[in-house]
Amino acid sequence: MSASSRQAILDRVRAATSATAGDHAQLASTYSVLPYPYIHAGKLDAAARIALLVARLREYDAEVVECMGGELPAAIAAQLAASGRHSFLAPPGLPAEWLASGFEWKIDRGLSAEEIDQADGVVTAAFCAIADSGTLALHHSPGEGRRVLTLLPDWHLCVVRASQAVETLPEYFARCPSPPPALVTWISGPSATADIEMTRIKGVHGPRFLHVILVHDEPIHDKEKSPHHSLRLKEAPHFD
Amino acid sequence: MSHGPADDAIAGRAPGDRPVLDPALAPPFPIAALPVLRNLQLRKNVAHATDVIQAKRAHLVAEKTDWQQLRTAAAGIRTHALENLGAYLEQFEARCTAAGGVVHWAADAEEARRIILELLREENATEVIKIKTMTSAEIQLNPFLEADGIRASETDLAEIILQLGNDEPSHIVVPALHVNRGQVREIFARTMGLPELTDDPEALTAAARNYLRKKFLSVPTAISGANFLIAETGSVAVVESEGNGRMCLTLPRTLITLAGIEKVLPRFQDLEVMLQMLARSATGERMNPYTSLWTGVRRGDGPQNFHVVLLDNGRSAILARERQRQTLRCIRCAACMNACPVYRQTGGHAYGSVYPGPIGAILTPQLTGMRYAKSLPYASSLCGACYEVCPVKINIPEILIDLRAQVTDQERHEAVRLFDPMYLGMRIANLLFARAWLFHAAQRMARIGLRVFTQRDGWIHSLPGMGAKWAQSRDLRGLPRQTFHEWWARRKEVK
Ligand code: SF4
Repeated sequence: MSASSRQAILDRVRAATSATAGDHAQLASTYSVLPYPYIHAGKLDAAARIALLVARLREYDAEVVECMGGELPAAIAAQLAASGRHSFLAPPGLPAEWLASGFEWKIDRGLSAEEIDQADGVVTAAFCAIADSGTLALHHSPGEGRRVLTLLPDWHLCVVRASQAVETLPEYFARCPSPPPALVTWISGPSATADIEMTRIKGVHGPRFLHVILVHDEPIHDKEKSPHHSLRLKEAPHFD
Repeated sequence: MSHGPADDAIAGRAPGDRPVLDPALAPPFPIAALPVLRNLQLRKNVAHATDVIQAKRAHLVAEKTDWQQLRTAAAGIRTHALENLGAYLEQFEARCTAAGGVVHWAADAEEARRIILELLREENATEVIKIKTMTSAEIQLNPFLEADGIRASETDLAEIILQLGNDEPSHIVVPALHVNRGQVREIFARTMGLPELTDDPEALTAAARNYLRKKFLSVPTAISGANFLIAETGSVAVVESEGNGRMCLTLPRTLITLAGIEKVLPRFQDLEVMLQMLARSATGERMNPYTSLWTGVRRGDGPQNFHVVLLDNGRSAILARERQRQTLRCIRCAACMNACPVYRQTGGHAYGSVYPGPIGAILTPQLTGMRYAKSLPYASSLCGACYEVCPVKINIPEILIDLRAQVTDQERHEAVRLFDPMYLGMRIANLLFARAWLFHAAQRMARIGLRVFTQRDGWIHSLPGMGAKWAQSRDLRGLPRQTFHEWWARRKEVK
């Protein structure tokens, strides 16, 4: 690579935009007044939000079951048993009580891709679920696992708490930490393609089976509404 | 369903005859479109696919009550990013580097190919797996790598169909939409050695899954494109459906991402606008199955060597023209081609570029500095459907007209155009219209000259010589016996 190309490109870009480009301070102020008139906060109450999430997940072929917090380990065991599979993977941060007995578990502490490929399935947590598009967002924390963990196995069970569900995509971004996560994977239904005559076929390379357990926190109270009021305003870019 | 040999079946081509997608070599649009227009199977395939996507898109866009507001926001963010591109590119570079990535800058296609080849040589690579990237097709990367002994294996289902079928992409989101299931079956059966394969899309997909699994687990180098570069974080975002992208982004040891310099977004949060629009516009889904975002290198998770190649290749010149600059807002959703009445008839190959349809018609000639693809700005009825569906509000018809003016301005100074009938005619018209006496004389001559061609019904249905082609599909009203001027003069005399 030539350093001169870098300079040449940047020079050309600067010359091309000299009429419009500002210094960092101007740029921050023009950014902060950009129009963003679209819908930010959802309008649904907690129950309707969950109902929408479940419907949207199912629409794109994810299997969804709901349970109360105390029933979660049993619900996980039931899902594992119903899958007819035996060997499962877990990320290192998965709560011990989720590792149902009677199955073979491998905890991912640097498993090889081949070892991961050979497992029947994987169980993980998630960072957030977005009802509007039926999306599960993983930020790859210790409970969500490395990216490869939810990719190679053919069967993925993802546990989401009702309090992790938001209605709109902007609500998800409002919940994201600052600075933003370095690794993000959004999953909306199992792997699919429509490349052959626009027929949606489930399961090309990622997991062919996506299961979701939706855990209702008990009791449901109003703190769940809080994200609707805590949307942060659009911050301007900041340069070092 | 009956199938001929695949190469014959696709686009009615002779075996081994690939569509030409290099703007410098491709024939002009009206000529390139002819074989397609005669190929009913291909037109049926294109019509079916675009109908399905359009219907799905329309349904999901209608569901979004704030769609127009999202368009406004998306256009605003993209415009701002382009107006301040230098600052954002430098910020992206700094943050990506701080996170362990290596940023390279390529002024043109040749430099980008050389950078990528050198990186692959350092890895002693003999094969590289690829996620669908139109930018790599733009720089004609695959044939270049193959010539240097590195096999470039596509992993997107559509791209495999094209690669194994010796074909070229005809759409930027669904590149093999001109190929139907029978043709896919034939290609896979022949090239994967699976004579028993059926034409059930499920079986075809499974064949691709098995074909690629070994590659994913064994090839240590990958190449991707980028949907967005995030200046704030130095992250790269890739959206996809199949999971082949995630395979390429996580399994190999070394990942090379090729991205146009225009792909930058200022902030992570800007994705909340873009990603509400992209899948809805592109495939008619609320969200594509997989969206990946990564930042440099994460120890123990994914590739441990990460390179980004930032490609100019004509983009900074587009940026310099203020009206045409909006071309670079494009997020490559393909909604404009699905909506285009011209594309829907001709499919993508007629455009002679990896970027077909309305966006291709404005982008391709501009990327070549208006040297090639000069017929493309005319490949439009200017109906405006593309503008209406564009999620970032690119006024494509306005740019098409601008580019037509540019083409004309160039051509009228070319020596070969001196006797070109159209330019000759225009120069003569220019002379005539500027002088009343000449104009009147010409009118009288035309009246006499055209009288023999005027039929009893007062219309001219055919013309001789150069006029024949024009009159083939048009009728011309015969000239009236007197002009308005003559009538006015006579009327005064009579009084
Ligand atoms: S020009 Fe607009 S509609 Fe066409 S691909 Fe680009 S973003 Fe999509």
